[in-house]
This record gives sequence, structure tokens and C-alpha cells, in this order.
Amino acid sequence: MSSTGQPSPSKFSLPIELLPTGLAPIFTHIHPVLLLSAYYLRFPALVADPTSTLLNSLAPLAVVQMSYAVICLPATGTSPRPPKKAKPGSKKTNTNDTSSAKPLTAFLALLLSLLSIPVLAAIQVLFGAPITTHIPQTLLSSAHLALLAVFPLVYVHGSSSARWREIISVYSPIDEVFGAAVGCFVGAWLGAVPIPLDWDREWQKWPVTIVTGAYTGYVVGKLAGGKLLKGKRIELD
Amino acid sequence: MVSQSIPKPVPGNINSIAAQYARAKALKDAEDEAKVKDILKERGLDTPKKPWNPVEELNEKKADYFKKEWGWVVGVFVWLLFIHASGIYFFTKGFLLTRLVLDEKSSCAEPPIPLLSSFPGVGTPEAGCWHPKTFEKAVVIIIDALRYDFAIPFDKISEVESYSGPRTPQAFHNALPFLYETAVKEPQNAFLRPFIADPPTTTLQRLKGLTTGTLPTFIDAGSNFAGEAIEEDNLLIQLRDAGRRIVHLGDDTWLALFPGYFEPNISRAYDSFNVPDLHTVDNGVTKHILPLLSPEKKGLWDVTFAHFLGVDHAGHRYGPNHFAMTAKLQQMDDVLRKIVAALDEETLLVVMGDHGMDQKGDHGGESDDEVEAALWMYSKKGVFGRTDPNYVTPPPTAKIRPVDQIDLVPTLSLLLGLPIPFNNLGKPIEEAFTGKRGSVWDSLAPVLRMAAAGTKRYQSAYYRARGIDEAGIKTTEGSPHVLWARAEGSPSSASKERYQAFSNFQVETLRIFRDLWARFDAPCMILGIAILAAGVASLILYANENAQDGPEVDAPELEMAQRELDLKSLSNGDLVNRDESTSRKVGLAALTGTLIGSLSAPIFAAISGRVTLDLDLLNVGVGGAAIGGLLCVIFVEASARTGFSNPMPTTIWGWLAFIFVVCQSVGFASNSYTIWEDSILLFFISTFGLVAAISSLRIERYTDRTLGVYHSVVFVALGWLASFSKLCREEQMPYCQSTYYASATSSTSATWTILIPFILAIGLPAIIKSYYDGSRSYEGFAPVWIGWAFRLGLILNAVYWIIDAADDGAWIPSVSQQTLKSVRIPIAQTVFAMAIGGGSIAFGYAPPCVSISTTAAPTPSSQMVNSAGATVTILGFANAHGSRYFLIIINIILCVVMVQETMGAGAIALMAWQILSLLEILDLNSLTSSPIGPVVLALLGSFHFFKTGHQATLPSIQWDSAFIALHKIRYPWSPLLVALNSFGAQILAVAAVPLVVLWKQRPRRKGILRSVATAMAWHITYYAVIGLATTMWAGHLRRHLMLYRIFSPKFMTAAAVLLVVDIIAILVSLTAVRFNSLSIAEVFGWA
Repeated sequence: MSSTGQPSPSKFSLPIELLPTGLAPIFTHIHPVLLLSAYYLRFPALVADPTSTLLNSLAPLAVVQMSYAVICLPATGTSPRPPKKAKPGSKKTNTNDTSSAKPLTAFLALLLSLLSIPVLAAIQVLFGAPITTHIPQTLLSSAHLALLAVFPLVYVHGSSSARWREIISVYSPIDEVFGAAVGCFVGAWLGAVPIPLDWDREWQKWPVTIVTGAYTGYVVGKLAGGKLLKGKRIELD
Repeated sequence: MVSQSIPKPVPGNINSIAAQYARAKALKDAEDEAKVKDILKERGLDTPKKPWNPVEELNEKKADYFKKEWGWVVGVFVWLLFIHASGIYFFTKGFLLTRLVLDEKSSCAEPPIPLLSSFPGVGTPEAGCWHPKTFEKAVVIIIDALRYDFAIPFDKISEVESYSGPRTPQAFHNALPFLYETAVKEPQNAFLRPFIADPPTTTLQRLKGLTTGTLPTFIDAGSNFAGEAIEEDNLLIQLRDAGRRIVHLGDDTWLALFPGYFEPNISRAYDSFNVPDLHTVDNGVTKHILPLLSPEKKGLWDVTFAHFLGVDHAGHRYGPNHFAMTAKLQQMDDVLRKIVAALDEETLLVVMGDHGMDQKGDHGGESDDEVEAALWMYSKKGVFGRTDPNYVTPPPTAKIRPVDQIDLVPTLSLLLGLPIPFNNLGKPIEEAFTGKRGSVWDSLAPVLRMAAAGTKRYQSAYYRARGIDEAGIKTTEGSPHVLWARAEGSPSSASKERYQAFSNFQVETLRIFRDLWARFDAPCMILGIAILAAGVASLILYANENAQDGPEVDAPELEMAQRELDLKSLSNGDLVNRDESTSRKVGLAALTGTLIGSLSAPIFAAISGRVTLDLDLLNVGVGGAAIGGLLCVIFVEASARTGFSNPMPTTIWGWLAFIFVVCQSVGFASNSYTIWEDSILLFFISTFGLVAAISSLRIERYTDRTLGVYHSVVFVALGWLASFSKLCREEQMPYCQSTYYASATSSTSATWTILIPFILAIGLPAIIKSYYDGSRSYEGFAPVWIGWAFRLGLILNAVYWIIDAADDGAWIPSVSQQTLKSVRIPIAQTVFAMAIGGGSIAFGYAPPCVSISTTAAPTPSSQMVNSAGATVTILGFANAHGSRYFLIIINIILCVVMVQETMGAGAIALMAWQILSLLEILDLNSLTSSPIGPVVLALLGSFHFFKTGHQATLPSIQWDSAFIALHKIRYPWSPLLVALNSFGAQILAVAAVPLVVLWKQRPRRKGILRSVATAMAWHITYYAVIGLATTMWAGHLRRHLMLYRIFSPKFMTAAAVLLVVDIIAILVSLTAVRFNSLSIAEVFGWA
């Protein structure tokens, strides 16, 4: 791309840092364990009846994601560590960083992220998901993707169009939120691989493999984004 | 691309200084020339020699360079075509041997050789055609996959010295003792012998062998290529012609091979591919066969074929060493005992396996376990004998006294009083003709003589049909001719020697045909794979070496300086071609290597005495040429590489291309991924579109960003829309619903699809125009070509298909089919004449799609003030190369659309639209020198192959397309039409490859040919890798159950596509680039 050399800090955002509380670094490690173990426990039910299992697990997933956001992540418009040099046009907004505002932000972010469900479902259909059948399954798997990947991004970045252009063009600096989201989508993409095989396994049914890939990719991306690749950007060429 | 300010030069920016300079230069040149001409004209000197013009001479020089360079590029691709063809040739030679099917049939009254002794009623089916009839009726039972050792007591097997298997009986031992018992107890009534199958050991191929008496191959090239029904002479044809009533029970493969042969009310067919079901077929056969033997129903049939599948299915599902196999064999034992109990004296009972199974219970290949089946014959007449008393005990292993499966055909024919089928290569089984008493050899020798004479007759007919000259091999010692002469000449008193002599003849003839037809030849296959692999390597090296690091940057100052330098060196006489690709070097290396290889290999082979036949010498020469060329090219290319240059991709785009190609290639090793190839291609195409959208979002300029995202979305949406056109293959059921034709059982389009050609005629030219409008290129010939000629062609196409639909649906009963045909065929011919004849000539002479006008009013497009002070505008400058080249694509779209059903025409139109969006995406994201563009084009080509109603199977070939523009089959046009129908999408894709470089390319761009060659090399790399992979998998999986259903057809499709793409690349793409570049340079000059 044209401007890959040295992105100026004023133009490009910085990676997200966790909240400087004692609980944040602990819960951010509990969070993936929680997700994966819950997923592992629900897996037989998911295979047996994807629709109802995905539906019933939406609320618990939302709770886990919201607690993760509130406990670990800086809500949009706040900054856990005020930048050394105040940016022009951005004031310190510590005043609204109260304990009651954060759940509200989380709730609004949750509602906003639900708007991505039709888009995610449409993308799945464009990739070859059935359109005449299995519609609840596709929508529910999109809902899981939205809660996993989109919700934390909304919580952290709000609705800033510049930020979101960066996110959609996958050019945000990698941090654990963005890394997890990218991992989640790559995982879902890879989840399509075993579907055509003629192994006649129950778990090959739609959308079990996609959701499995998404959860696995989410956790892998979160770990990699928070540690290994933090601050890097994905270059296409 | 319209822009007011010039922040930095971007490709396609028509206002760059270089562009302005070029325009000025061109105009100035033209103007100067015109002035000079005018002056000359005034003085009446308009045709004399031109004054020396250094710019003109430089252009001429550069045109020369271009033509030479073009020659070398074409040379490289011709060489690659040779490499691919020879690789495929050698692999195919080892893998798919073809056999010519002869139409001749034996007839009862005409034996191949006069009988030695007559009998009453000779030459009639009632008494016996060529041999007295022994049995009135026969029950032929096939126990699928009945391996020989299943029928032999374990203690007899383990007594054999060479036995090395387990010491205790396995699940399959001793479960079917009935055959062995009867053979030992009642030798006059029964015998049991090993029954050796000719590979491939799949049921369909085996049934062909068991009924025709010849060796089946994958392709039996005959008059009816499309159908599965056996057309050559066989046992069932002879039975039917003799008026015998045939009953069939069991495996439904028989119905595909012998449609309409069986008595309708008492025959019962069952699905053969439901492997997990062990019992339905067997229970059904058992239920229906026993009543047929009862006295009441005896009179309803003459011959019954019963085919049990349970043993085979148990093998596939569980393997032979499983209690399910024990149960299955015991069930067979029980059924056979019941059948024998019900049998009368006039009926012959034959029980056999059509092949064996390997240790895992699978079959298809040529291992001992797979080919060793059992044959048991039984009758209550007591007519069976032995040539040696020791032969009463059945052989303990299949290595001792085996009979070939083809021997069954002459045996059954003669026993039932029928003529031996014409193409039989087998010899009658001894036991059946030995008789209980008398001189065994006296009765055997005439029988064998008759079969041998038939074989000899077939051999000469086959050689005649294949054009093989027999004269040369007639006198060779040990040849069938010599053996025949010796046998026929031996005294008839010495029956035993005579029998032996005929037997020698049969064995030798069979050996020769076997060599000719039905054997996997591993060294040959490996040679083919090695050639293809080395071809891929040299292709990648070639592409890599000529690839540019990035899109060329417009640097006007540099360009002007370069031009001055060029002019200077021209006057000094030391001008060199700086944009040369490595084609010359590679071409020379290929030529040298090919020459050395093709000469030295045959000489070496001849000296070492390994080759005797001329044909082999030719093969050695071709192989030597391929290997020599490859070695030289790879050596030259590899030695030119600088130390650390990395052949692996370095960007995400490169990796994406790599993943698309490699994942698909690996996937073809699995039958599932081969079956679902169309869905996988859609997945990849959508992936590319998504990444393209992401990449486009990163573009700085707002308009470009919007366009990039828009085209990415269009690209994905169109691919998805096209995915609704489906022709499902059998294996995709029930998860796939065909939409290509009106219904699953029809091969005509649904009525509503007749709208598609009309929508195309209205919409497609407009869509193409909109892409021209983006760069203001809808100038020159473009409006006439796209808006009128193309639209007219599409309207004619629509008229054709509406007449076709009227024909199919009999909408106008008063008009005969013949009339409709004679109306619509000339329409199709007109379209082809327009597209190929008119279109090609027009393309050769067409000027660039630009408009140079002098106007007073300033426009936002490219403009300048010329020396005369007027404002000059060149519209379409930024896309001068692409807009002109695309005209040939229009012709190809028209041709391809013409041969597709209406649904396929829609798919091709969507593909054309996708290609245009792809080109915009590549241009906007500066990806024109990345391999991703050519690879995505190849994905599009492969994807729309499926969307035009094709599958990688033989039955999906749309043979009807041969008759779209012709009344009857005419060579070479009919096969060309079918090829255009089958590979239309790939042809369109490969023709569009140069556009990756040319689209949005201003004139006077350096190194265009080199970039086109690189793009073409990447494109062909895709097909070459797929071809290599499918070849390797077909070779590796040659024992796989699904070889002949999935892997072989996929390999054949990939190989055919590779060759077609190679040929089109040379004949269309590169040729069109030559005309295009010369035409652009004629107006704008060379870089």
C-alpha cells in the first residue's frame, strides 16, 4: 500500500491497552478458558441440535463478553492511560468513566453489534451457505460471530467511522481485541474445510464447524494479538 | 479516471506528464507527417522515398524487437504445450489404455474356420452352432468379490509349502465349503478352479470382460462414446439373437450394460452402490431365484444371471476378516445348496466371483488378492471330465491351474450351442469339454481350434482397423502367425500336441493384446508425472524470473531521457532491447535440449538393443525430447537465479494465490473435494472478493476506494448469482439440486430460461459499455463493435434458442422439426461467421478505441494545446491497450454463448462481467503484476465450467452442442463445437489473461509483452499444477473403489483443460496481443 512506511500516530490508532486495574489482566486470561470450556461442554448438545443450542447459549455468551468488556477493556471515548501528549480535539474524559456508565456502554455496544448479524449472514451466504434452508442456523452462527468478534470492537472503538474504516480494512494495529476478531473470522473461514468430506459425521452439519472454528480462532487470535503480534499491522503486499 | 490534481502518478492517470508528452509527440508526429505530405502533394511528389526520420526508424527498430521477442515468447509457450502434451501422453499410455471396439458380430451359420466333423443340425442354435449344444438352460450366479481362498478349506491352503499367512483360520475361511465338497465328491458334476480377473478389478469392467471375452479398458473407443451400454459382440447379444429369454436378478449395473435384454416381469434389479447395506440385494435375489427353478416357472426363461453383492459389500464395509463375512459366506453356501437341490439335468449352473478383494476388502487394482476369484461349474448331467486324474482335487491356491475370466465366454457359448462372440480372446475351459470317457484330447482339440480361429479372425480385423501392418510380424519366430501355422499344420491324429499348439497360439495372442490394452504401466506413468512436475517447475521459474517487482512507475523525465538516449544509440548503431524477457534464453535452451534429447535417446536405446518396434522408438524420441528440453531449461533458469531469491510468495496476495492452487490440488486426492469442486471454487472466489474489498478500503483516494469496494462486491455477488446454475453429479445427491435443465431427468432447458438470451442481448453490451465509459474508451470501433455487432449476435443467439425451445416443446405443431432445424442452424452459422470470421479480421485492422479531437471547449479529460493553438482531446488514452484488446474477448463471449444452453449463456455473461470487475480491482489495488490476477481468472474459468452445466464426468459432456451449428457430424468441426461448449469458460478466462496487464494501460508502456508472458505463465501454472495433482492422485489411487467414477474423469478433465488452455493461450491470447500492440504502437509509437 501507499503509506506503509511510517504511519504517523495522529493518523492511525494505537493498539488497545487493558484497563489498569488489578482484575483486568486476570480476567482477560480467565475469559478464553471460560469460552472454550463452555464451548467444549456444550459441544455434544450443539452437534445434536445446533439451532436451540446456539440460541440458548447466546445470552450466556453475551454475559461473558460484556463482563470481559467491562472488566478488562477501555470503553469507547475513554483511555485507560491518558496519552502523554493530549491529542488536539480530544479532552480527558475521565469524568464519564464511572462504574455505571460502563455497563451502559456495553449494553449499547451489544445492541449496535447485533446490527452486524445480517451482514455476517450475508457474507456466509455469499461464501456458499445455503440460502433456502438452514436460515436460523446461519443467523445464529452470525449472532455468535457478532458477539465474539464485533461486540468488543464496538465497545472499544465506538462508532468512529475512521476507526471502523481501519477495522474493516483490517488495518488496525493488532491488540487482543482486534487480533481476536481477525482470528475469529479466519477460524470461521477455516471451519468450512471439513464440511464437504464424506465422513458422515454428525458434527459436519451446518454450522457446527464454522462456530467451532470461530471460537478456536477467537481464542488463538486473542492470545496472539495480546502478546506476540501486538502493535503490528497486517500488510497485504 | 478523471482527476484534477496530480498528487502522485498512479497507473492509468491520463493526466500524467508522460501521457501528455506522449500525446503531444504523437500529435506532433502526425501533424508533421501530414504537413510533409501536403507539401509533397503540392509538388506532385507524394509517393517518393521518405526523408530519413530518426523517430520513425527508432519505432521501426522497436517494432522489430517486439516481433522477435513475441516469436520467442510464443516459442516458450509452444514448448510448454509440448511438455504438457508429452507428460499427459506418457501418463495416459501407462494409465488409460484405449481399445478400439469393433462392430462385427459372430453368426451362427458362419464359423471362423470350417468344422472338422459335422453333426446333425450344425449351424443352428437349436442343435448347436459351431459345437453340439450340451445344455438347454443355464443359471449364472455371480457372487461379487468371491475370492478363491474363500472356497478352499483352510487346512488345504495351509498345507501348501509357500503358504505364509496366519496359522489359524480367518473369518472368511471354511464358511463356503459347498463348492469344494462337490468338486471332490462328484467330479463329473462339478469342478472348481481359480478364476483370474484382468485388472481393473471393478465390477463394471469385469462384467464387460465376463460377457465379451475380451479385456476391458477404461476407454473402449467405439461408435457410442457417451453411453455405457455394451455394443460389441457379447454373450448376451448372442443369446438374444438366438431367441433365448434372459432373466436378470441383483446388481443393477447389468441394466446399464444391457438395456432391454431382460425379461421384464421376472427380472429384478437392485441398487449396486449402497455399500453399507449388506442384505437387500442378496435377500432379493434369493427370494426370486428359487421360484424360477420350480417346474411351474421353468418354462419362462432360458438363461438366468443372478448377481449377489453382499460379500463385496461386507468386504468394503468390514474387511474379509470379520464375522459379517462369515455370515455372508454361510448364507451363500446355504443358497447354493438350495439352488442345486432344485436344479434339473438340462440346466448348467455356474458360480463365480467377478474379482477378489485385498486385505482391507477393497478392489479395483491388480494385486493378487484382487484378481484371484473362484469359478465353479455344476450340472447333474455328469459331463465334466479331467485331462489328468490329479486334477480332480481343486488347486489349493490360485497360483495353480488358474483359468482366465475371459475363458468363460467361449465355454458358455459352446455349451449352450451359440457362436463364440467375435472379439473373444479366451479359450474353452478343459473340464467342460473333456467328457467322461474317450480320448480327452480328441474332443478338446477341435473345440480349442474353433476358439483359436475366432481369435485369429478378431486379431486380423483389429489390426486392419488400427492400421497395424501384419506383414512385418508374420514371420517372426514365436509370433501368433507362426504358432497358428504350426498348430493347423500338425497331424490331426496327434490330438494332444495339436491342442498344445493351439493353446500356445491363444496364450501368445492374449499376451500381445494384454500388452496393447489393459495394464497399468508404472514406469510410463511415473515418466509422465515427472515430465509434468518438471514442467511446473520450469513454468514457475520462468514466471518468477520475468515478474516485475511492482507496477511500473510513471517517471516522465526518465522516459524522455531514455528516449533521447535511444535516439542517440540508434544513430551510433548500438541500440539494444532493454525490455527483453528471458523467453529467448529459455526458448534456446528448450530447443537445444529438445534436439539433443530427441536424437540421443533413440540412438542410445537402439544401441543398447532395448527397443525393437518403430513405435517404441518414437516414444523414446518424444520422451528424450521432453526430458532434454526440461533439463536444459531448468538448468538455464536455475543458474540465472541469484543466490537468495525466494520462489515462495512474499505478500498476502501471493500467499492467497498459492493457497488457492495448492489447497485445491491437495483436495483432489479426496473424492469429497473432487465431488464438491464447484462449491470450493465459489468459496475461493468469494474469499478473493472479500480480501479485495478489504484491500480496496485501504485506498487513500475516496473515488478509487469507493470503486474498489463496489467492484469487489459486484465480483462476489455475480459469482454467487452464477452458483445457482447447477448440474449435480450423482455423488452430490441428495445435497444438490440441478437447475441447469428443466428437471433432473431432462436435458432441455426450463422454459423460463428462454428469457436469459434476451436479457443478455439488452444488458450485456450496456454493461461492457459502462466499463469502457470509466476510462472514456467507448470510442473508435467500440460503439459499432459492442453496441451493434455484439448486440446483433446476441439477438441472433436469442432467436436461435427460442426456435430450439419451440422445437423441444413442440410449440408450433404445424412446423416440422426439420424445418425448425433448417432455420436455426444457419442462424448459428451466421453468428460464428460474424464472431470468428468477421471479428478476427476486424480485430486485426481495428484502430485503438480512442478519439482524438480538436475542440475549443475545455473538457476535464486529457487535453492539451497543440502548436496551432487549438485544444486537442484524446479520449480513452488511459485504457488504450485494454479497451482495444477487449474487442477480441467480445468475439469469444459471442462464440461461447452461442454453444451454451440458455442457462450456460447466462453464466458466461456473469463471468464476463466478473472479469471486468476483476480487472478494475486489480488496477485500483496495483495488483497487475501479482500472480493473484491470473490465478483468480483461472478460478473463474474453472468455476464457470461447472456453471455451464458440466462436471468432471464423462456423462456430463454435452454432445448435443455438436449439432448447434451443423446438421450432422463433420470433422473437425463437431469435436471443436463440443470442446467450445465444454471448455468455454476456461477459454474465455485464458483469452482474458493479457487484460490483467493491458487493462487501464496507457500506450507506450515498456515491457508489456514481458508482463503478459508472466501473467500467462502464472495462469497456466494454475492448470498445470491441477493437472499434475490430478494425474498423481489418479496414478496413486489406481486401486481406489472410486477410481473410474471420480479420479480418472477428474484427471482426464484436468488434462484436457490444460491442453486447451495452452493452445488458446498461443492461438488467441498471445496472437491478439501481437496485433493489439502493433496497432497501438502504430498510432502512439513504441516505448
